[in-house]
Amino acid sequence: MRSLIPGKTIWQKFMLFLGVLLFVIPVLCGLVGILLPAAGYFPALGFNHISTEPARLFFETPGVGQASWLTLKIGMIATALSLLSCFIVLIGVMHSPGLPILSRWLGALVAVPHSSIAIGLVFLLSPSGWLIRLLSPGFTGFHQPPDWSLIPDPHGWALVVGLMAKETPFLLMVSLAAIATQPVSQLERIGNSLGYGRISSWILLILPLVYRQIRLPILAVLVFGLSVVDMALLLAPTLPPPLAVLVLHGFIDANLAARLPASFGAVIQIGIVMCGLSIWMVFEALCNTSLKYWQCNGWRLRHADKYLPLVSGLALLPIIAATAGLTAALLWSVAGNWFFPEALPMRLHLIHWQDYPSYLPLIRNSFWLATSASFVAIVAVLASAYSASASTLQSRWLLCGIFLPLFVPQVSFLLGMQISLSSIKLDGNWLALLWAHVIFILPYIWLILMPAKHALDRRLDSIAATLGASPWQRFWQLHIPLMAYPLGTAFFIGVSVSIALYLPTLFVGAGRINTITVEAVTLAAGGSRGPAGVATILQIAIPLVTFSLIHTALRWRFSKFSDMRSGDLQ
Amino acid sequence: MSFSHPRSFFYFCIFTLLILLDAQPTQSKHFEDLKTTARGQTVYFNAWGGDAKINSYINWAGTIVKQRHNITLVHVKLTDTAIAVSRILAEKAAGRLTGGSVDILWVNGENFAAMKRADLLQTQPWVTHLPNWRFTNASSLPGILSDFAEPTDGKESPWGRAQLVFVYDSARLAAPPRSAIALATYIQKHPGRFTYPQPPDFIGVSFLKQLLIELTDADPALYQPVKEADFEMVTAPLWAWLDQAKPNLWRRGTAYPQNYPVLRQLLGDSEIDIAIAFNPADASAAIARGELPDTVRTYIHELGTLANVHFLTIPFNASAPGAAQIVANFMLSPEAQIKKADSLIWGDPTVLSMRDLPLDIQAAFTALPRGIATLSDADLGESLAEPHPSWVPQLETAWRQRYAVGD
Repeated sequence: MRSLIPGKTIWQKFMLFLGVLLFVIPVLCGLVGILLPAAGYFPALGFNHISTEPARLFFETPGVGQASWLTLKIGMIATALSLLSCFIVLIGVMHSPGLPILSRWLGALVAVPHSSIAIGLVFLLSPSGWLIRLLSPGFTGFHQPPDWSLIPDPHGWALVVGLMAKETPFLLMVSLAAIATQPVSQLERIGNSLGYGRISSWILLILPLVYRQIRLPILAVLVFGLSVVDMALLLAPTLPPPLAVLVLHGFIDANLAARLPASFGAVIQIGIVMCGLSIWMVFEALCNTSLKYWQCNGWRLRHADKYLPLVSGLALLPIIAATAGLTAALLWSVAGNWFFPEALPMRLHLIHWQDYPSYLPLIRNSFWLATSASFVAIVAVLASAYSASASTLQSRWLLCGIFLPLFVPQVSFLLGMQISLSSIKLDGNWLALLWAHVIFILPYIWLILMPAKHALDRRLDSIAATLGASPWQRFWQLHIPLMAYPLGTAFFIGVSVSIALYLPTLFVGAGRINTITVEAVTLAAGGSRGPAGVATILQIAIPLVTFSLIHTALRWRFSKFSDMRSGDLQ
Repeated sequence: MSFSHPRSFFYFCIFTLLILLDAQPTQSKHFEDLKTTARGQTVYFNAWGGDAKINSYINWAGTIVKQRHNITLVHVKLTDTAIAVSRILAEKAAGRLTGGSVDILWVNGENFAAMKRADLLQTQPWVTHLPNWRFTNASSLPGILSDFAEPTDGKESPWGRAQLVFVYDSARLAAPPRSAIALATYIQKHPGRFTYPQPPDFIGVSFLKQLLIELTDADPALYQPVKEADFEMVTAPLWAWLDQAKPNLWRRGTAYPQNYPVLRQLLGDSEIDIAIAFNPADASAAIARGELPDTVRTYIHELGTLANVHFLTIPFNASAPGAAQIVANFMLSPEAQIKKADSLIWGDPTVLSMRDLPLDIQAAFTALPRGIATLSDADLGESLAEPHPSWVPQLETAWRQRYAVGD
């Protein structure tokens, strides 16, 4: 009989089991903490019996149906459009001289937390925002802002744009990393020699390979889009809000009994995520079938290529909007009086920046949390890559455990996790917060480092071994330098993911450990544009500085090795 | 020692005086003991953190209690006070009876009532033992003993007062509407130029209560626990008013700002003509920060506007309850209250009773500069008492049922 847990020795099995538990236990505790109140059991409030009352109350909440539909719609559309933009830009820029600039720009945007993008878009796109100010009153004739439903709009398009601005760069970066392992130029040449245009060669030959490699990140993006909170607080409609926000409102209602129906809502949220994932898989199957049909009918689509620059330009619009929004955030942080319809602030001052000492502890917290969590995650991934067998590393159990936190909506388990942590006095504790951050960072680092380790040329290893290098020497002097770029990328992604974590920090930090991200969302939700602008800029600074440091260090270290540059930091 | 500004010197004199006052032997032995044990402790002060000027005031208080009592004050900035209430509840659910994560909570109204119902407060009253309690006077400000008609039972210490004011730009609007009825007419004539924060936001619900009191001529039923039977009848004029206003609200009532700073920002952006604030000096402070034009002024309705007191409370499982009392006592001191009442710092009216204060401190209060848009005490004279807190959840639910689904 095949053992449930793979691994060569008992010891290995035990370690792996322990590792998976570290991931699964917090999520499971969190889920139990939600399921019990959802079933009407919450002794602290005097609810001692299982009942269907929370379910009834939840379904009686006005707008629940609409909220669920809105959630599903926004998550699916945003993910599909982000993927589409990602592929269009990929085809458009792959061999163009603009690629290095674009990839640096994307790297910077990946580092920008979701909430900052949302803050920037509000500054830019609301009826009294920067865009309309630039055009008023000259072009529009507006002396006071129009009463247009722009942000938030009733159908959630602002949130779709926000999610696209954040997820397109992320998917592009993952795709660029995936493409680096594929013989793209050869495949393109094969396509061309058979008479296919650039677009059709990519769609038929290259994108399916890329998709297979980035499928997991795409699904994670989908789950995130279906359960996003921090961006939704600023960009989504509020009557009713998306389900995740509705659930959060229930958890923070002054009427404590509102938590029971909210817990039921958190369970429904999981249902919506599963529903979204299923629809996506049907969609995948449909694409697969039509692709096969296309491959057989030989539709070459050569004329479409000339529209490529135009379409890639369109696909870049959300990214451009995000960048302009962040520029607006920078302006607001130094703006004195800036009233409609002035295109620029009437005076500049540094009042908000003079308050910098109050941000220093937050930046310090964010920085230590992000770097130490990334470091722990990298060490953990490397340790498993080197100690476990290939079959172990590909076992379903292990992968499910590692990727579970990305596939369960955050609102659905974090509150329960807080209750569990609180009972062992671990909430608001550095170690617990570090643990929570590692849980969310590790899957991404796994996705970057595992293929890199796999791609190492074993022949170099054999040569080094015949020259008498010990395993440790080979690891330090051969493997680490060869994996320097993926390691750099992994560290940078780890820092970016950690800086962007809003809900986990809010719940596990229990307010005692605060980060610049939580501060920025608080300030932005509180409408103080100046301080929110400052917090946003400071929040972006951490990953950007990390990015430049790693980039410069790698450039400097490997400047003499031309082949090492092929794996540019992405 | 040199003073850059005459006011700094003035403060210096006051502070010196107050430190002397602080050392008076009237303090109980009990409180002196607290001071000794509290040294070196950390107090987690959970307070709404959406306003930069309030945050810097709390930061200032932190530096003082550090100097004098060696207490480290950490401001935990909340987006909503209920988050902290639910955190304390989660701790209770987990059986954590000591070492809780919240030491002091800025609270009033429905959140306090909810904490009281769920037994999340200290078991023993502590407020009247605070040395600075002697500067308060419940007969001139009954609100310090009953929070939205809910008895405080000595388990929350008054911190500041608030009164609802309406804010407008005098450059764009000459004569603002001074009653619920006049406001309705204004909204009808100027579509898209008025809105209010979306309930259950605190200011949004307060606006509903203001309308309700005005439209029912302060029905005595509002000051009793709400009963199912009369809720519909009493609130009918409110819903009629809102139904009529809704199509002419900002964005036709399909979206509402989420809180009052966002509402204030909409006024600054000229998206609306009238905003609401629960602090008479808020507009002046916003003008000083460049967030509102200097032509902005405030007004209240002819019948008066809602007024209440906000408090500091200590949860049952606070990890440093003694140090928390020291902080609450400092927050109640004339020194801290004068600073808080300064419209350039925060502009939050004091809870201390003028005639119970020494003359020089009274003078210090009257010498405080009023902001350009702040009404005088005489103009703020007409105030309305808060309805019983049990009305709040019902109002929230009824509002949600009527307006929570966009169109």
